Parts: sequence; structure tokens; C-alpha cells
Amino acid sequence: MADRQWRGARPLKPPGQGRAAHKILAGMAVLAVLLLLSVIIPLVAQAVPALNAAFLFGRAPGSIAPEAVNTVTMVAISAAVSFPLALLAGLYLVEFARPSRWTRAFDQFTGTVLSVPSIVVGLVVVDVAVVRWHWPVSTLTGILALTLMNWPLTVALVVEALQSVPGLYRDGSWALGASRWQTVTRLILPLALPQMIEQGGMAVARLMGETAVLIYTAGVNVGPGWALGGPGESLAVHLWLLRTEGVTDLASSQAAATGVVLLGLVFLVLWGSRRLAEWLQDTA
Amino acid sequence: MRADRIAALVMKGALALFIAVWVMVAVIVGAGAWRFVSANGLVGPLVSSRWSPLAAHYGILAFVVGSMAVTGLALVLAAPGVLALSVTGARILRGAPQRAFIQILTLFVAVPSVVYGWWGLSVAVPLIRRLTGTAGFGPLSAGIVLAVMIVPTFSIMALQTLRQVPSSLVEGSLGLGASEDQTLWHVILPASRAGLSQGFLVAVGRALGETIAVQMVIGGQSRVLSLLKPGATLTTQLLTDLALMPARTPGHDALDFMALWLMILMAVLVWLQSRVRGMSRG
Amino acid sequence: MAPDIEVDSLDVWYGQARALKEVTLHLGPGKVLALIGPSGCGKSTFLRVLNRMIDRAPQVRVKGAVRVGAFEVLAGDVDVTALRRTVGMVFQQPNPFPMTIFDNVAYGPRIAGLRQMAKLRQTVEDSLKKAALWDEVRGKLRRSAMSLSGGQQQRLCIARALAVNPQVLLLDEPTASLDPVSTAKIEELIVQFKTHYTMVIVTHNLQQAARVSDAVAFFEHGRLVEMGPTHDIFTAPRERRTEEFLTGRV
Ligand SMILES: Nc1ncnc2c1ncn2[C@@H]1O[C@H](COP(=O)(O)OP(=O)(O)OP(=O)(O)O)[C@@H](O)[C@H]1O
Ligand SMILES: [Mg+2]
Repeated sequence: MADRQWRGARPLKPPGQGRAAHKILAGMAVLAVLLLLSVIIPLVAQAVPALNAAFLFGRAPGSIAPEAVNTVTMVAISAAVSFPLALLAGLYLVEFARPSRWTRAFDQFTGTVLSVPSIVVGLVVVDVAVVRWHWPVSTLTGILALTLMNWPLTVALVVEALQSVPGLYRDGSWALGASRWQTVTRLILPLALPQMIEQGGMAVARLMGETAVLIYTAGVNVGPGWALGGPGESLAVHLWLLRTEGVTDLASSQAAATGVVLLGLVFLVLWGSRRLAEWLQDTA
Repeated sequence: MRADRIAALVMKGALALFIAVWVMVAVIVGAGAWRFVSANGLVGPLVSSRWSPLAAHYGILAFVVGSMAVTGLALVLAAPGVLALSVTGARILRGAPQRAFIQILTLFVAVPSVVYGWWGLSVAVPLIRRLTGTAGFGPLSAGIVLAVMIVPTFSIMALQTLRQVPSSLVEGSLGLGASEDQTLWHVILPASRAGLSQGFLVAVGRALGETIAVQMVIGGQSRVLSLLKPGATLTTQLLTDLALMPARTPGHDALDFMALWLMILMAVLVWLQSRVRGMSRG
Repeated sequence: MAPDIEVDSLDVWYGQARALKEVTLHLGPGKVLALIGPSGCGKSTFLRVLNRMIDRAPQVRVKGAVRVGAFEVLAGDVDVTALRRTVGMVFQQPNPFPMTIFDNVAYGPRIAGLRQMAKLRQTVEDSLKKAALWDEVRGKLRRSAMSLSGGQQQRLCIARALAVNPQVLLLDEPTASLDPVSTAKIEELIVQFKTHYTMVIVTHNLQQAARVSDAVAFFEHGRLVEMGPTHDIFTAPRERRTEEFLTGRV
């Protein structure tokens, strides 16, 4: 039956005429994707000789396990510090403050500070924490630097997620006699959370790759074990150091392997945050 | 309501802390820059390209020009790729392939800049070396690395803008006998002007502020623009000299001076962005 | 000269869903056909086949034959851009381009390769006059089209369609988003255009169909239930379903 009704029916292809530019652009897009892949593929290829258990998890010098631990802990702690602070500030801006010249000026302010180059943040953290407060070049100072880097971006993403919740919902809730606080916690936050988590994943991924801000704050060494005041070289810094100072073949394949591990962590964070966001969306 | 008032107070505190900390950052940088200007003047350092801290000569012209050249080069090199990727992702692909395409671009947005720097050192620099017979380090390599780095960010933004062009406009154009190509050039791209400018400004900001990827391939010498010879930018010079001139050493204030310029440039870019947004609304 | 339209057992599928079933009809040159029927019955689909705008839907399949004047619309080798220049279209929501009034009307001729400014000006003026918008916008042609009211925007879209010298006009609920005064102006235009253009108009407003059309086609569930002269359909429909629809007993 289904077959009979299809007999003689033909698909309508969009006309081929007048699409030359589209075809050229599609061809260029293929080239551009290949170019982007040329960033990843040689990295993986060069990393293969160095990717072994001793390098990844070993306790001997040369293993990147300490760098991986430093990266994950510094990023996790600074995200855990900056996110709640940013959430509170963002909630105030969107849900409590009346829109005014000041809130608009604040948008400008956040936009500016979130694009301050990371080396400038590094400069200030060195001047203040290391020179003035005599903090050691350590994971602690690294955490401070990363927190400072992450804070404005997180404020911006919180504000954006909250603003994406339609205002009608708020009116509806207030009309039922709910207070602002109740409206925010019961209605708005659950609705905005998936987007916050997905964007937050991007922010955390960015933190993992931060290099310039960490070189003089967390340093280029690792200690015998993890300590808050101990040397805090991260994966990204390690990769930078190996690739700009190391010259041996071993160093270059270790650099590539470090890059692969870093990329793996970054993609894991992206994937995890997206899955979490989807799950929250579905259960909501 | 009581709970509301307490909540608002806590939130205001968080906001105030955020503002205070970043104002402090600006003040610290500004104070150093002020000391620098008092000692060296404002215009002199900007028009001199002699950077020799040991002789107390702090001309930053080479770095300013370097930053601008590298950024401009990156944008020019990235433009065709951005156009191709965004048109392909927004107007050629549909359904599942389109979603996959966008996801792949998003992954590249998240690739750390040090990895792009690695690519520059391992692929771009040797290639330039072979093609030109120079060492391969310099603004040209830096521009190439930056271009590859900003293509995903810029493309995603352009792609989302192109996707949002209402299909009623597209059909209006096709209905008048315009071809797909004509519709793209004459309706879709002009209607996306505001969003594309926005993406452009974000890309400029990223390129101008990028440190590590550029530092890895630019060579690190104070020299007024030569594309194929080692040079430096504001950010890369900050990175190299931060180690040589720690706080309270004479040259340190010069670093604050450069940092302040970077912050001002970023503020201008953000202001331009808000102008562009207003344009698209008005 | 205005062409005739002939449709022979036309079927349209969107993926697995069949939107039109064996539609056969003939419309004489210079006549106005009104398409009526409940929501989702395939009126827009039918209209969009006539200028191949249907191509834009993903996974669309067609069967049957459609002829507009000399155009075999569904033939694989038809020149779609030429067809669309001959068969103009006006949409439910006014969709002026975000450009000046002048550039909107000049868009079609420019696309077709007209470059001479004097001719462009003449075409723009003629088209705006035909769409009864000239008096309201003369001297303001450099203003953005977005500054016009909804009704003016819709007449601008009509002028824009007329500027490429079409012979057929397709109008998909052209007054659905307009106020009564603007609606009356557009209806007036349609009546004036009769005999110059062959027109197909989709409308949910039965009075409108009665006022402007020569013939009415009633669609339901993708089938053409009945087609006939407007007067006959409204006074003596042959099919029970048509009568139920016209009297509101859907
Ligand atoms: N692009 C599309 N993809 C899939 N199905 C579609 C598409 N466009 C329309 N349809 C379906 O085809 C059927 C006919 O749609 P059509 O738009 O032609 O109806 P209509 O008579 O114009 O309705 P209305 O009066 O609401 O405008 C509907 O069931 C609709 O859901
Ligand atoms: Mg319809």
C-alpha cells in the first residue's frame, strides 16, 4: 500500500542553478575543517610514542600525573569559588535590581573585564599576591589567578542564562503571591540551570587551558606531592615549557602527549556538562 | 518580604565584591602606568621603538604595531574561512549534519590556545621556514596561528547570526526570482550585518589579547614590523618581561603602562559592541 | 498576456506525510481563484507548488503535472528563477527587506540585471503606483521600509512583486495580519488587477473570497473537494462538505 502510493513520486531537488558561490564556499569549508583537523591529528600522531602508563600515571619524574592533578584541582577549586559568587551577583542584577543606567554600565564593565588579557591578570596577581603578600608561586596563587579569570565570564554567563527565561513566568509567579526569592529559587533557577551548566562547562574548559596567567603564579615546577602552597605547574604550562624550551625528540613527543591529555580533559568537561544539562532539561 | 531583603543584601555584597576587586585591578595597573607616565611622558614611549630597559629606554611602538599587525593579519586570513564555514553551517547543511558540524566547531572553540601554539611551532613555523628560507618565527607565523585560533569562535557567531535571518526574507528574495547566491549576497549577509560586526569585534578582542599562542611563534624581539623576522606584541612582551622586571624594579611600571593600554583597547571594543547591538535594535 | 494554470492529479508528500492528494484543476487566464478550507488542508502547499517555493521544504516529493502558461512547473529542467519571476508571491506577514523603500522595489529588477538608474526609477515609480502606495511614499523613497505601517509594508511587498513584471500573483492570506482599512485597500488592488494577472489567493475570510474571486476551490485533508464559479459555490455548493464548511458546521 505504502509502496503503491509512492509510485511515480519524485523528490524535488532545490534548483542547481545560481548556487555556484554556495558550492565554492562549501569547498572552502571542507578545506577549513581539514586545516582545523591539522591541529589535532599531528598532535595525536606525535603523542603516541609517549602515551604510556608510566607517563600518564607514574610516580617517577617525567610523568605528567602531578601536572594533571594540579590542573584539575586548581580549576575545580577556582570554579567552586567563582561560580557561587558570580551566581549571587548575577541573580541580583537580573532578578532584583531595576534596569537602569547603572545595570547597563555594569554590562559594559563585565564585558570589559572578561576580555582583559590573561597575562594582565597574571601581572596583577604577581604584583599583589606574590610580591606584596609574599605568597609562594604555588597552586594557591594559581587558584587566585584562575578565580579572577573565571569570575567575570561566569557572571556574564549567569546573567545571560537568567535573561533567557521569559519575563512572563516571573509575572505569573508574582501574581500568585510568591516573593522574589521564592520565584527565583523555585521557578527561575531550575529553568536557567541547564544553560548555566552547559556554558559553565565551556568556562571550565577554558580555565583548563589557561597558560599565560599561570606561568608566574602557579609556576613551572611540580612538588613531590600536591600541596596548597606547593609548586603548581599545570598541563598547559607544562606543554608550553616543553615545547618552547625542550629540544629533544622525547620532549616533543611528551609535549604532544601533554596536549592530548589536556584536550582529553577539556572534551571530557564539555561532554559531561552537556550531558548533565540535557539530563536536567529532560527531568525538568 | 524579609527573606527578600536578606537575599538582596547578600547578593549586593557579592556584586560589590566583584566590582571592588576588578576596580582594584584597574587601579593597580593604572597606578603603575601613572608612575610610568610621570617619569617617561605619555607620547614619547608611544612613538619610540627603542626598548632597552637597562638603559631606561621604554619605547613600546614596536609592540603596539606588532599587536595591530598580528591582529589585522589574523582577521584577513580568517575571513574567507569564517565566511565559508558559517555559510556552510547555516545555509547549506540541515538537520543532523548541521548539528554535528556546529558541535565540531564548538569543540575547536574549546581547544586551548597553547595547543594552537603547539601547532604553530610544529606545523606553521617549519612550513614558513621551508617556503621563505627564514627562521620561520615572526608576525606572519603569529598571524597564521591566530587566524586558525579565531576561525572557530568567529564562525560560530557568524553561523548563529546567519541562521537567524528570518526565512520570510529568504523566501521574499527567492520569490522574486533571485538565485540562492544572489539571496546570500544581497539579503542574508546584509541582514546579518549587526551580528557579523559583533562577531568581528569579539574576534579582534581575542586576537589582541592572546598571549601564549602568539608568544610561541613570534620570536620575541623588539622590532618594528617585519613580517618574517622575529617581533613582539604588547602581550608577548608582557609575558617575557614579567620575569625580568618583577615589581619594584625600575622597568616594571612600563609593563603596567602596556597592560593599561590593553585594558583600554578592550573597553573600546566592548563599547563598540554595545553600539552595534543598539544599531541592530534601532 | 496572463497565462492559464493547469494542474493534473498533483500529489505532495512532506516526508511520509501526504499534504495534497490527486488535485486536478484548471484556471483560465486573468482569473482570480480563492482557496478556502480548514487549517492544514494544504492550501499553502498548493500555492507554493505553483512557483516551486515548495522546494525549500526538506524531503518533499511530488507527483503529477502542473503547467503555468508555457512553464512545465514540475519538470526537472524548468528554469526556476524565470518561473518565479513570472509567478510572483505575496506572503501572510509583510516581509520587506531591511533596506530603503526604493531598494526593496528595485530588488527584483536589479537581480534580473537592470542597472540603468533612469529605468530603475521608472520601474519603481510604476510599481508603487500600481500598488497604490506612490502617493504615500513619494519623496520618502530613501527611508527604511521598516518605517512603514503594516498595511503599507504589505502594499510595498505587492509593488516589489509587480516590479519584475509577473503574469501570475500568488497571495497567501495577504490580509491576515492587517487592519480592516488596509485589508480593504488590498482587496481593491486585487479587483483592479483582474484580467492583467492570473491570481490565486488563500484566505480564511469567506466574505473576502466572495468579494474578490472569480472561482473558489475548497480543500479538505489535502483533497480538492469542489471547485466552481464563486457565485455557484456560495449559493449552491454541490458537495455536502463544502456547504457545512461555508455555514460554519465544520
Ligand atoms: N515544511 C513542512 N514539512 C512537513 N510538513 C509540512 C510542511 N509544511 C506543511 N506541512 C504539513 O502539510 C499539511 C498542509 O499544510 P499547509 O501549510 O499547506 O496548510 P494550509 O492549508 O495552508 O493551512 P493554514 O490555513 O493553517 O495556513 C499540514 O498538515 C502541515 O502540517
Ligand atoms: Mg497556509
